[in-house]
Amino acid sequence: MTDPVLSLTGVSRTYNDGHPVMALRPTDLGLAQGDHVTISGPSGAGKSTLLNILGLLDAPTEGSYRINGVETRTLGEATRGAVRGQIFGFVFQAFHLLAGRSALENVELGMLYGPHSPRRRRQLARTALERMRLGHRAHADPRQLSGGEKQRVAVARAIACEPRVLFCDEPTGNLDSENTAGVLDLLDELHRDGLTVVVVTHDHEIAARGRRRLRVVDGVVSAW
Amino acid sequence: MSNDRQARALLGIEPPRFRLRDTVRESSLSMWRHPGRSLLTAVGTVLGAAAFVATLGISSTMGQLVSESFDVRRATEVRVVATDADGPAGWQSPERLRALRDLNGVTAAGRRLVVGETPVRRTMGGEPESVKILGADGGALAAMEPRVVSGRLYDDFHERRASPVALLPLPLAERLDITRTGVAVFIGDRAYTVIGIFDDVARRPEALLSVVIPTSLATEMVGEGGEGEQDVLIATVPGAAQLIGRQAPLALWPEEPSAVRSIAPPDPRTLRREVEGNVTRSSLWVSLIALIIGGISIANAAVAGIGARVPEIGLRRAIGGRPAHIFLQLLSETTVLGAVGGLVGVMLGACVTSLTALFNGWTPVLDWRAALLAAAGSAACGLLAGLWPAARAMRITPVAALQR
Repeated sequence: MTDPVLSLTGVSRTYNDGHPVMALRPTDLGLAQGDHVTISGPSGAGKSTLLNILGLLDAPTEGSYRINGVETRTLGEATRGAVRGQIFGFVFQAFHLLAGRSALENVELGMLYGPHSPRRRRQLARTALERMRLGHRAHADPRQLSGGEKQRVAVARAIACEPRVLFCDEPTGNLDSENTAGVLDLLDELHRDGLTVVVVTHDHEIAARGRRRLRVVDGVVSAW
Repeated sequence: MSNDRQARALLGIEPPRFRLRDTVRESSLSMWRHPGRSLLTAVGTVLGAAAFVATLGISSTMGQLVSESFDVRRATEVRVVATDADGPAGWQSPERLRALRDLNGVTAAGRRLVVGETPVRRTMGGEPESVKILGADGGALAAMEPRVVSGRLYDDFHERRASPVALLPLPLAERLDITRTGVAVFIGDRAYTVIGIFDDVARRPEALLSVVIPTSLATEMVGEGGEGEQDVLIATVPGAAQLIGRQAPLALWPEEPSAVRSIAPPDPRTLRREVEGNVTRSSLWVSLIALIIGGISIANAAVAGIGARVPEIGLRRAIGGRPAHIFLQLLSETTVLGAVGGLVGVMLGACVTSLTALFNGWTPVLDWRAALLAAAGSAACGLLAGLWPAARAMRITPVAALQR
């Protein structure tokens, strides 16, 4: 295995709303470049907590999280944001597309705070949409798109800035089986092209598609 | 932080950017997402700006009107009366009046004397009409400028000779059944020849209710027991009324100028300022209150909208947006909303002003500074309204984006 790109050492997360709950128990985990990882487990077991920490959306209570060897605990919010915006891509169950903007504009939004000029953002957005085979729907409003198309726009938004890691949280949770298969095939394709893909799911079949399969139960991460 | 700079170099990333162009674009996009709702939210600022522009516009239109009417008529009229009941003897003598007429800017000046209600008859035994008798010399007549519809005015000859001639206003002539000049009327118990009939005067409209006769005859009438009210009437060239008003007492009675006082119309510019000042103050308050209500409604809508926008804000944070980005975007949204509301209001106010002027046949006067102020005020109102919701939205964490 190559050197891990993302590495967790003794990372735990405790939520403290009145009485403390340890959602993630101390965990050591390394993800390599080009991995295809699935994180499964029952709901409330801590898989979203793990994803939030890996995606820098949340910070661990204890332990060290390194990206390419860089310790993230001491990074400022601006730099954490830059990592999320430029190295990571996110796909959510609820798509989170903004109504009233075309598919193309939604894809552009993913690069809004990044270094690219508006013109370059438009180019990259077009390329990403075409990669998702949605070039013909570039000017459609999200409300006119099917669920599968919506999620493909959301994937295009996540990959437009050419990230190194793609985090997907229940990416097919709102889709029927046909669209689910289409989106999963696209994710496999992205992985084949060299992208590191991390998928959180409660679905056993989807979890089985991962080359590396993790399971979270009661805050404890294990391979299966 | 040098640590962060080092980390960014190692990871090959750049710090998040802030571009004003992007912020404004994002704001207008979210505003156009619900154009109707946005306009409804901004209705307070629309009304505030409209009220401001319309009241200012209408008041300055009317102010313009006031000064126009004063310029042509009343602003050329000065009256001089005695400070005490009778005043110094001889203050209206022909020599004194001559000195007054020599003043630069006086076009006509003369003495007048009002005799109380007197019966006027067509024939000695006829039905009497009770009217006031106005004695006026040639100069006063010229200053009043009666518009003669029949016959002619009398002159200094009649005045010197105390010829019994009379000028009748048209309505009275009709009541007395007099249709032509040259006939006689009886004023008191003396016969006068009707020398002219007039239907309008340029100055002192009360003359339209009086029979006008030479002062020499009116003085006699007062001597017979009537009470007399005397003044000197001056017509001036446009714009000279104020000046002549100050000079007239000195010309008429230099021995003791305070023994007589002049009544000149207010300076049209002062008057306009007064009219506008009053209206402007009240319109400012109304507009300010409307703007505050507008601001509250924008703030209220923005706060209420945050709940629905948690996923969007979370997404923005997840893709690298800093809290400052979120803050500035929401602030710019309410500011743009306020500014657009203000612009719509300015147009509305301008329309109201123009239509009011159109229906009244006035020339609309619109001040671009008022329009600018109204739009800027609305934008500032939107900015203030955005502070609180923007500060609240700033606290939304990126984890919120993952909520299902």
